[in-house]
Amino acid sequence: MEYLKKYPKLFQWLFLLVVFLALCFAIEVPETYKFIRGQAEFIKDPNQSVYFFLGKEVRYYAFDVFWRLPPLLGWLPIWINDSLFFLMNEWMPMEFWNEDTQEFKTRPLLLQISRNLTSFMTFLIELIREILLGGLETIVAFTSWDFIDAYPWLELPGLPWTIVAAGAAILSYKLSGKGLALFAGLTMIYISIFGQWKPSMQTLSFILVAAPLSFVFGLGLGIAAYKSKRVEKALYPILLVMQTMPQYAVLVPALVLFGVGDHAAVIITMVVAVPPMILLTILGLRAIPPEVIEAGRMSGCTNWQLMLKVLIPTARRDILIGVNQVIMVCFSMAVISAFIGAKGLGFNLLLALNQLNIGLALEAGLCISLIAILLDKMSLAWANKQTDYFGNLTFFQRNKNTIFFAGSVVIGIILAYIGTFIFKESFNYLFEVPHNKGISTADFWNKGVDWIFDTFFVYIKAFNTWLIVDVLQPMRALYLRMPAVATLVLAVGAGYIIGGIRSALVVSALTLFIALSPWWDRALVTLYMATFGVVISCLIGFSVGTLCFQNKKSAAFMLGVCDIFQTFPSFVYLIPVMMLFGITDTSVLIAVIVYATIPATRYTIEGLRSVPVGLHEAATMSGVNKFQRLTKIEFPLAFPHMMLGLNQTIVFALFMVIIGAFIGTEDLGQYILKALSDKNGAGIGLTLGICVAFIGLIFDNLIRTWVNQRKKHLGIA
Amino acid sequence: MLKKNYNYKIKDLPESLKQFIGLIIITLIVIISFSILNGMFGEGDELVKRMKIEEERIAEERKLNKLISSLPSGILVTFDGTDHYKLTDEVYEQVCNATKLIPQRAIMGANFLNFRAHELYTINGNKIDETFVKWDQEKGKCFAGFTVSGNNVGVDESITISGEALSFLSTGIDTRVYFIKNF
Repeated sequence: MEYLKKYPKLFQWLFLLVVFLALCFAIEVPETYKFIRGQAEFIKDPNQSVYFFLGKEVRYYAFDVFWRLPPLLGWLPIWINDSLFFLMNEWMPMEFWNEDTQEFKTRPLLLQISRNLTSFMTFLIELIREILLGGLETIVAFTSWDFIDAYPWLELPGLPWTIVAAGAAILSYKLSGKGLALFAGLTMIYISIFGQWKPSMQTLSFILVAAPLSFVFGLGLGIAAYKSKRVEKALYPILLVMQTMPQYAVLVPALVLFGVGDHAAVIITMVVAVPPMILLTILGLRAIPPEVIEAGRMSGCTNWQLMLKVLIPTARRDILIGVNQVIMVCFSMAVISAFIGAKGLGFNLLLALNQLNIGLALEAGLCISLIAILLDKMSLAWANKQTDYFGNLTFFQRNKNTIFFAGSVVIGIILAYIGTFIFKESFNYLFEVPHNKGISTADFWNKGVDWIFDTFFVYIKAFNTWLIVDVLQPMRALYLRMPAVATLVLAVGAGYIIGGIRSALVVSALTLFIALSPWWDRALVTLYMATFGVVISCLIGFSVGTLCFQNKKSAAFMLGVCDIFQTFPSFVYLIPVMMLFGITDTSVLIAVIVYATIPATRYTIEGLRSVPVGLHEAATMSGVNKFQRLTKIEFPLAFPHMMLGLNQTIVFALFMVIIGAFIGTEDLGQYILKALSDKNGAGIGLTLGICVAFIGLIFDNLIRTWVNQRKKHLGIA
Repeated sequence: MLKKNYNYKIKDLPESLKQFIGLIIITLIVIISFSILNGMFGEGDELVKRMKIEEERIAEERKLNKLISSLPSGILVTFDGTDHYKLTDEVYEQVCNATKLIPQRAIMGANFLNFRAHELYTINGNKIDETFVKWDQEKGKCFAGFTVSGNNVGVDESITISGEALSFLSTGIDTRVYFIKNF
């Protein structure tokens, strides 16, 4: 009893572990259970049991319920599909004017809205694409094909790459200075001479439509949530789920609603990019001191004036950080949305990976990463830039960047014109380097991959075999061996110990949703891969972070490296691992480890940095050595922050595991990928996405609750 | 009064013990909920039986498929005197059990000797109701047959024709009845 009072949590955890293990050993694997016969296969077999719910037939293999719960939510994907079909094909038919046939046509309302939205998005994308690359669709949209035949000079010529490169360099110089300007110029030149200009501009046009729209919607909804508690409460669950929802999963319903192409990709990118913008807007507006608001009111501001002239300018930095996040999400979606037909670098990358042409994939991946880093740095520089309202500047000083840009436009046009004479017989390289006419290092990289395989094949294969046979397969078998009841007891018990009855209920609801879906087995496989990645990432991240923290320069360097790695779209991580390990689970897991190590390292350094300097001095005065200071003071105080890093690591690992389905894992991601090519896949894709989001939210809930309690306990809340 | 006393007693318990009891209760609730669900949805033993029968069937089918793929493509017969591949008695039974299809050629051949069946078959657009191929353990022979039914000049009729399956056609993927001796 004395021990129970002294270490209550320890005893609770021990009890929970004993119950969990007892259940695992007590419940045998049913004779009929085979992983391949998991309930998610949707095949018709006379041995399956059947139930009807809301008029939907659900077939499943009825195991002992202690082992696997029946898929009582199996109707959900079917119901989502049917609802979408009803909304798109039957709901509220109305008469709409058809421009092409010049007559009224009956169409369901949602279908008409979707088509109008699609046309609008297509128009915006084409407009920007034609400004950058040239074309005549935009002019035709306002006139006709006959008109363009009569006035062919009206066709948009596109911008020479020299002008865009100069524009990027000048803008970067204005925002941050010489360093960024040089980087911007070199990036643009690299993209151009490596023949990636056209796909890069296609990607850029897609981002230039998606990012501003996401910003406007995110800002609007963020302000609405700041103003009204009801809106905030309504948005909160959606924002929470969207934070942990794999971007892959959102693609599937988008296919049904908006079809295939750039327009669908823009809409779905907005769905993914708006939540971080809303969150950062709310955060920025909430952080405004009440004195500022009071001062605004005292000056006689109306509500609108207060918002536009006082609140938004004060929260400018957080809002612009939101813009930065929006741009980063847009870039990661640029690759993922290639699955639904978005053109550009993402599509080329996907195509190259599909052909196992690692060299080409590397070139496209490098381009995406360079543009992502550039835009990340530019938007951060914009966020941190302070306007000098009091500088006494001359006309030239105030407008020098505009003058330089105007000059570069003139020079660019002249160069492009000269190019028409120099490159009479071939392409005008001073205007645009065509996709297949630039320098290519693909062969070099492909030969490098072959060399790596030839030289290290034996070692790589031995490592692969060891990892798969001795580590991964037993681990997978252990996860699949967990009976549903034991897993639920463990999850609910952990929730209760950490956060009391409320947390237990939340965790139990989230776990039950997955357990009652037809994909429990696949969720366990996803979890095993994510766990493996998270454990190794945390080991590496915590060690590297702690080591780098010992020196200010190395800490700053490591944070810079994390910044750069974080800007890479997640798909890019697959390229080097495929180079080394081919198409195996090992590749996915190594990509997971690399990707998920970033937050673990970053949060360790930032956590250790957050320990007050006064405590360091107090510790030194007390005569503790460096190691004692680290273990007795810094680690305990930084641990809550590091646990937030663990939370991020889990989310990153889950995202990468899902993307790893592209290589061929057999987890939930594989089913999301399958749903993409299934005309009835919307319901399945969305439900699977929610399952993955819920796995993330279970850990999020447990970790955040623990962190808050721990911070309160340490007095740093 | 007694209830009040218990309430006080519970309230007086140390926080750690209360949490522990809470954990035990929550664990029991989960396990009991599963027991109730097991009563409603569990189909353990019955499913095991069904699955075992299914697995045996699949194993048998695989065995037969293996046999079929080992046979030469073309006509397989059960009697001497032709150039075709002659089946042994044992393989004859196995082929019979593996055969599911009766093609139109065999049906039309059998119909030749049954005028009414032939007429019903042609009037109703060559429609066949059901076919069967089965091994007769007593006679040690394979029998195949089919049922034709339909309307023949205002009269609904149904005729079943069956006979000994004397030859089979092996496609390499499956076997089909080639000739039905219904005389």
